[in-house]
Amino acid sequence: MASLEPSVSINDKTFNIMKQAIVIIAECRSGNPSPVTYELMTLAEKIRQAHPMSVKAVVLGDEVEKASQEIAEATGASVLGIQNPHLKYYSGELYKDLLHQCLPGMNPAFVLVSQTTQGMDFAPGLAVRLGASSITGVNGVSWDGNNLCFSRDAYNGKIVLEILPLMEATVLTVQPGAFKAMKPETTATPEPVEIRLSTAESRNTRSLGIIRCEQKDASLAEADVLVAAGRGIGSRENVALIEQLATLFPRSAVAGSRPVCDSGWLEYKKQVGLTGATVSPGLYVACGISGAMAHRVGMQGSGFIVAISTDPNAAIFNIADVCICEDLTTFIPLFIEECKRKKKGPV
Amino acid sequence: MKILVCIKQVPDPEMPVRVDEQGRVVRPEGDLKYWMNRADEFAVEEAILIKEAGFGTTVDGLTVGPEHAAQVLERAMGMGADNGVHILLQEEDFLSPLNTASYIAAYALNKGYDLILTGVMGEDHMQGQVGAMLAELLGFPCATSVIFERIRDERGAVYVEREIEGGLRAALELDLPAVLTVQTGINKPRYPTLSNLLRAKKQKALVVESHILGAAKDREKVVRACYPGKSRAGLMLEGCGKDKAVRLLEILEKEALLFCGQQRE
Repeated sequence: MASLEPSVSINDKTFNIMKQAIVIIAECRSGNPSPVTYELMTLAEKIRQAHPMSVKAVVLGDEVEKASQEIAEATGASVLGIQNPHLKYYSGELYKDLLHQCLPGMNPAFVLVSQTTQGMDFAPGLAVRLGASSITGVNGVSWDGNNLCFSRDAYNGKIVLEILPLMEATVLTVQPGAFKAMKPETTATPEPVEIRLSTAESRNTRSLGIIRCEQKDASLAEADVLVAAGRGIGSRENVALIEQLATLFPRSAVAGSRPVCDSGWLEYKKQVGLTGATVSPGLYVACGISGAMAHRVGMQGSGFIVAISTDPNAAIFNIADVCICEDLTTFIPLFIEECKRKKKGPV
Repeated sequence: MKILVCIKQVPDPEMPVRVDEQGRVVRPEGDLKYWMNRADEFAVEEAILIKEAGFGTTVDGLTVGPEHAAQVLERAMGMGADNGVHILLQEEDFLSPLNTASYIAAYALNKGYDLILTGVMGEDHMQGQVGAMLAELLGFPCATSVIFERIRDERGAVYVEREIEGGLRAALELDLPAVLTVQTGINKPRYPTLSNLLRAKKQKALVVESHILGAAKDREKVVRACYPGKSRAGLMLEGCGKDKAVRLLEILEKEALLFCGQQRE
């Protein structure tokens, strides 16, 4: 007997559009929703354009009322707050337990999580527990009228892969910054927020708090010009070349990508990217940097970007104003020489 | 204490990679270079450091991959791992994180591992899922992005600090057995020693055919690959090195980003 409820077919699966939902797992800092939460709303809207479904949000924490209310008012989504006294600090184990309890009742076709250190900690395990497809690093969505595919970077950002989920439900972790945060919806009447109280405890992990070990270098934020070294500089000795290049510019500083800091060639406080500083100088000179997302998110707001790499397909060239496909150990001395020659010559 | 370190062999990220007309990822013919995934190198080192700290530790290195992946086991043993386990794949194909995690879980189940370490992410596909999925399949607690760990043997636990955003760390304790995914920079990976490498050559890794372990059903499919779009002009400078240096100087002067004529105070 055919169901009387409206349904559509996507990816060869029949979705019951009255029942299935897109569920957003909100991320909060000190009781307030992080901007990434609203970026998830934007992706939810894009999915809805292909296939209308209701949008729900889940907020987890030890104090969830304020954030739940704010999300409901800003987006018009129906919000479920799960308040648990043991969630003063994030716990992957509790997140998976609590979400595994509430999600099946919400009939999620898509569960959207931010690709943060928190999201990446629980999303893959949650997908396994839900028997769901799992796609991380999502930065795009495409719909050809039949299939809904999600795109993600691979090979240091040189290639984009389009991935088709095959299961009833899909857990997606979404690259911060890939979707512009949705403008607050002022016309929608917020649905009443539901708050559930939970006292569940984690069995095998104990969260002990947050440690601040910030290493900030004011010179990165203050510099007009940043000359940044990546793994492609090849050796510690070549850091001197990067420093020489930087001295050509007034108000400049040297920065680096994570692998360079991991190798001990530069201090961690010089690191630009996802796990380092976010910078936006007038000029950013990327030397031997491949341009993986983890680095790009820290510097793509720079005024003018010059990239030097031996790899003609380096992803950094896609976000650069000027691309130089050269070995930096020969090119930088040539450039320095050219600057000096011009300085001496008649003006 | 029994430690398992899961290691991936990845193509050298500097090697060219292209997309063909059918939207498939292809690599130019010729000498493909492979190496140990960087984050996994830190995981191996962390396991060796625990071994050196005592606890009567043995370290097994494990990889899932085709024949040539055996190289990374040799390297891990060269660094000081006791044994190598090679879950052998017959083809080079893309393996989903769930498939990889399922193979490892099927092998590790009931082997009495107290701690399983792996890198936070593979640098080729950058999915960052295998460790977290493996923990879930084995029912072990899990911490990702670990930048510090100390075994609390007396408590049967491990204390870890996870690197989180904004220069912060989250501290937690996990009961053993547990899975940790290790962030790069947690230590300074050592070079293999000659004596360990010779031992590795002689000892040989245990080879387990993947089909014996049983594959998980695929839950996602890569439908096509393409090149990313450009977000800026991306002007590619032409000519010899000197031509490019001259041209770059002109551009920077035009953009008022470099003032060669001006004396600096």
